Amino acid sequence: MLWAVLSIFVLAAVAPFIARVTKQATGWVLGLLPLAVFAYFAQQIGPVADGTPIRQVHAWVPSLDLTLSFYLDGLSLLFALLVTGIGTLIVVYAGGYMHGHDQYGRFFSQLLLFMGAMLGLVVADNIIAFFIFFELTSFASYLLIGFYHTDEDNRQAARKALVVTGGGGLALLAGLLLLQQVTGTMEFSEMLALGDTVRAHPYYTGIFVLVILGAFTKSAQFPFHFWLPAAMAGPTPVSAYLHSATMVKAGVFLLARLSPVLGGTDLWLYTLVSFGAFTMVLSAWLGLRYTDLKQILAYTTVMVLGLLTMLLGVGTSAAVKAAMVFILVHALYKGALFMMAGSVDHETGTRDVLELGGLRSEMPYTMAGGLLAALSMAGLPPLFGFIGKEVTYEAALGAGPIGIVVLVASVLANAALLAGALVVGIKPFFGGEGSFTRHPHEAPVSMWLGPGILATLGLAFGLVPSLVDQTILQAATGAVLQSPYEFYLALWHGINAPLIASLVTFAIGFALYVQWARVQPSGFMQALDGFFGRRPAAAFERGLFEMARLSQWTTRRVQDGTFRHYLLTVLSTFVVLVGSSLLLQTNIQWPTEVLGVRYYEAALAGIIVLAALVAVRTHERFIAILALSIGGYAIALLYLLFGAPDLAMTQFTIETLSIIILVIVLLNLPGISGQVSLASRVRDAVVATGVGAIITTIALTVLSTPLDRYVSDYLASRSYTEARGHNIVNVILVDFRALDTMGEIGVLAMAALGVYVLMRMMRQNRDTPEASIESDDKVLTEAEETA
Amino acid sequence: MDLSEAYLTLWSDLDGVFSMALVSLVGLIVVVVDAFRNDHPSLPWMGAAALLASIGWELSVLGDAPGTALFGAVRTGGFAAFVNLIILVSGLLTIVLSVPYLDQLKRAYGEVYALILFATAGMIMLGTANTLISVFVGLETMSICLYIMTGLVREDEGSIESALKYFLLGAFSTGFFLYGIALLYGATGTMVLPEMAAGLEASGSTLLFWGGVALLLIGFMFKVSAVPFHMWTPDVYQGAPTTLTGYMSTASKASAFASLILVLFYALPTERWSLVLAFIAVVTMVLGNVLALSQPNVKRMLAYSSVAHAGYVLVGLTAASPAGYAGALYYLLVYAVMNIGAFGVMAFLEWDGKEGREQTLDSLAGIGFRRPALGASMGFFMFSLTGLPPLAGFTGKWFVFAPAVNAGLTWLVFIAVLMSAVSAYYYLRVVYVFWMLSPEDVPEAAEAQNAAFPVPASSIAVIVACAVTLLVLFVLSGNVMGFAEGLFEEAASMASMP
Repeated sequence: MLWAVLSIFVLAAVAPFIARVTKQATGWVLGLLPLAVFAYFAQQIGPVADGTPIRQVHAWVPSLDLTLSFYLDGLSLLFALLVTGIGTLIVVYAGGYMHGHDQYGRFFSQLLLFMGAMLGLVVADNIIAFFIFFELTSFASYLLIGFYHTDEDNRQAARKALVVTGGGGLALLAGLLLLQQVTGTMEFSEMLALGDTVRAHPYYTGIFVLVILGAFTKSAQFPFHFWLPAAMAGPTPVSAYLHSATMVKAGVFLLARLSPVLGGTDLWLYTLVSFGAFTMVLSAWLGLRYTDLKQILAYTTVMVLGLLTMLLGVGTSAAVKAAMVFILVHALYKGALFMMAGSVDHETGTRDVLELGGLRSEMPYTMAGGLLAALSMAGLPPLFGFIGKEVTYEAALGAGPIGIVVLVASVLANAALLAGALVVGIKPFFGGEGSFTRHPHEAPVSMWLGPGILATLGLAFGLVPSLVDQTILQAATGAVLQSPYEFYLALWHGINAPLIASLVTFAIGFALYVQWARVQPSGFMQALDGFFGRRPAAAFERGLFEMARLSQWTTRRVQDGTFRHYLLTVLSTFVVLVGSSLLLQTNIQWPTEVLGVRYYEAALAGIIVLAALVAVRTHERFIAILALSIGGYAIALLYLLFGAPDLAMTQFTIETLSIIILVIVLLNLPGISGQVSLASRVRDAVVATGVGAIITTIALTVLSTPLDRYVSDYLASRSYTEARGHNIVNVILVDFRALDTMGEIGVLAMAALGVYVLMRMMRQNRDTPEASIESDDKVLTEAEETA
Repeated sequence: MDLSEAYLTLWSDLDGVFSMALVSLVGLIVVVVDAFRNDHPSLPWMGAAALLASIGWELSVLGDAPGTALFGAVRTGGFAAFVNLIILVSGLLTIVLSVPYLDQLKRAYGEVYALILFATAGMIMLGTANTLISVFVGLETMSICLYIMTGLVREDEGSIESALKYFLLGAFSTGFFLYGIALLYGATGTMVLPEMAAGLEASGSTLLFWGGVALLLIGFMFKVSAVPFHMWTPDVYQGAPTTLTGYMSTASKASAFASLILVLFYALPTERWSLVLAFIAVVTMVLGNVLALSQPNVKRMLAYSSVAHAGYVLVGLTAASPAGYAGALYYLLVYAVMNIGAFGVMAFLEWDGKEGREQTLDSLAGIGFRRPALGASMGFFMFSLTGLPPLAGFTGKWFVFAPAVNAGLTWLVFIAVLMSAVSAYYYLRVVYVFWMLSPEDVPEAAEAQNAAFPVPASSIAVIVACAVTLLVLFVLSGNVMGFAEGLFEEAASMASMP
């Protein structure tokens, strides 16, 4: 399986080069690989349907349990077949649809990148590998939606999709990591048996919310449903493939995959059913508001995603069966219809059903495929869509107390779906000639073949459900339920409750279709669209805007560019960090008595304090500096008194130097002007006191620590015996620290070199400016002469 | 010990500090040559040759057992070689990128390359320090060179201001740092990191010790630009010449973090500082990401992003496990590659013929189509910085976050992941502007369109190589991570032996 996934990525990398050679035939050529991979997966149907999932493991980062492992059970096999099977047809279709576009090769590259990511997603066993593929599909979808990037709307749509699905992906990652914490494994296949542990764990709610966020954003559930209709800005093959048949089902796939682990609780049941049902009804009706073929299809896609979420929420055997059946049903008809819409658009230049009509004679093959698919979408017998609808109703009836809600919601949604399907499938082809300017022809074979095959399969599976029910669908259902589950599908079950519900659906649906021209522009539909269609998207844009404003505000507050404020922050943090570090210690030993302070020492201390006070209070910079250096000199005197003449010397030198430098600088600075507010003065005082208190504490502690005389004793005892020198300082400099001294000489030498270079440059500079002045003079005189 | 014996030891230890010695030596030679052949064009290549030779040397000792050299002043062996490789490679890439860039700016001073070499030597010492003295010497050698590099464009007020701010705040942090070292020495009676725990036990001066640790941490937080010691970062990153900014943001951060890891790993018992680091990590990630959101200037945005990334690395350190430290090392490697690349791209795109003009992101609208190699590479860097697979930025984040989760800091990782999500907004905006907008959409861009700055093939090669490396590091992340983790496990097992 690793090779199946990798080979598609490799093909994505080389697709632009292949496209350059194969030209119009690119779609056919590139479709061969997905076809081969499809065949590979098709061969696995037998073993997997027998109930033995296939697991393959490749080591990647052993130390962090990161493996490239793949797990193929019925569920992933169903999706893998859809990804590669529909993928093949889409690649072929895109060969015709995108023909002549100057970024032909790039398009295939991105499309195949997506295919590889999606395939990896459905067969991945490791949660991290799953997440990688999950985000990769978001990224590929971003590129593909923004493929026609010259249009502002397309770019916004691409950004919306990326932010929503990518952000949801990160929530999902957090959820998966928590799941790993709880189960102790990174493999889905091993988690599946640990559902009871997870459900009983205190983290369960957290995991559930995070995973649900990932799934709902990806599968466009309310309130995240707004990105999907916007994503229709991408080229039609993209809409058909990513935003209908495969990628948006990744969220549903995730729910199905994790339902043995997370499912079965009240939280799961009510959250999924309520959000799913609401999304389903809402989007089915919103679809009737639009006249753009792709927008109608997009909203009905959201509707199906809501339906699937709801069914997985119900979680009974019948509901899971219905979900699996509907995934297949939907992929077949929706892929076909999108391609049909693309062909119509391609040939007529419009997708607006109000402008379309009468294409049956010009585009017979497209019409046949589209109509067949639309009937399946409408849920009419004898197509596979009818079975899908029947099993849904059957599941609703068996769902216990919430069954009635599920049933009513399903009927309402399916009725609108039926109307939408008829609008999409009938309006463009029948009735009078449309009002398009271009003269339509039948699309090339590459563009009607795909929809034709998918629609035919929809018919075939409807007539002969045994093609799929006992094999792949049963295996998929069993995988989700984690126990074998046998069922047969059939068109006719006799007169029962689901059939009656179907008849009700037909009645409402046909009525809606007949009245569509009136329903579509009605005030109710406008209000619905305004509130649920446009409002969330606007709120999303608003959120992004507010985030930027918050950031700007914080920048102004935190990063105002004033050095004083930076210093204040640093010192406050110092006080907090070091202060708390000290406070946490209980063994501070304060000196209890002050012994042997001589009067001149006390006087010096008094001078230092006084100098500091003056420096703080004065309004003259000059006086402040003077006061500071008086303090500095007093400290130097203290050094002298305590027997450190070398230190005192250094301090004297430094003080003298700094006062000279500061005075020179001062001459160029304005005086301290303006009143500082009391609040900031108090703030400064608090911080300053804090710093002082900490330094004092540390100094006192140091005093109370016994002095370690090891080094001085060592040097004193060795100076004469080892180096034959009586002057310890000299011995230290030239013997004990000879290397340091040598280094210092080296530093001096480099400094001398620097001085030499500076002097040479000064000499050069002195030459050049004069020259330039001369030339300026010359220019001036010349100018005067000409004047 | 006899003096001659000591000199012999120095000589025999030379192979342990080969890179540091060679780089410093060539740095000195560059200064001398520059003094007589001012700004000779061969100067950068002398530096590059020294760095290349050092890289070769470090690769050859990558598998060595851990040890020390120069009387325990610096560490040798696999850890040192790994850190040195990050630093040396950053230095080499920087030199190759800087030559055409500084030429274009008319700032091709010879001393720039000497400064890069000295800074590199300082970083090597810092990143492999085994005593607090080495930490300090390395830190200052590096910092002083960086101050000067920041103010390279002397006529530009922004550059001067940023250099001065950097210097003043840096000097401040040095003060903290020295104070901390003094206290630690007072508390433990030793400067050697692995001996500190025993020294502390012997003396029992925990108050001094923790005060010293806090001060030392403040010094480190300055250097890695963690909040609230990050204020210098945006000004400096924006004011410094762009390729040199790339160098500062990567190599200096890598070596400061490596040094911090050594201090934490060898000298500090874990229970106390982990929570402090976690707290700093949180404010660093939050503030860095939130501030980066609204920056119109790419360099400034990258500066805040580098603050945020310091936060991610800190998350790895809070785990206080071999895996956490190894993850941090891996992250630093990846970060070096992607950030040098990003700054490299910006170095060549910001030039529009007008000096000193504020370079906004919007003025680069649609640049991807005019400079596809740079634009595509920038896409790689931005996606990797966001932490999206299949690039090394993703595995990097994974390797620093996973150990923190294992250490029970799930809440911290939760914030980190959330902040990564926020970061996607401003990183992907760059890609968006580069590839999706067209110059006609943005008035500023239309004006900048005519400026053509020839990008030499060598620079394109370096930038594309960085981008490809991100893919390679992603694929090989298991091997690299396994190696890095081995370094710490080996050291830990050696430390636990009596």
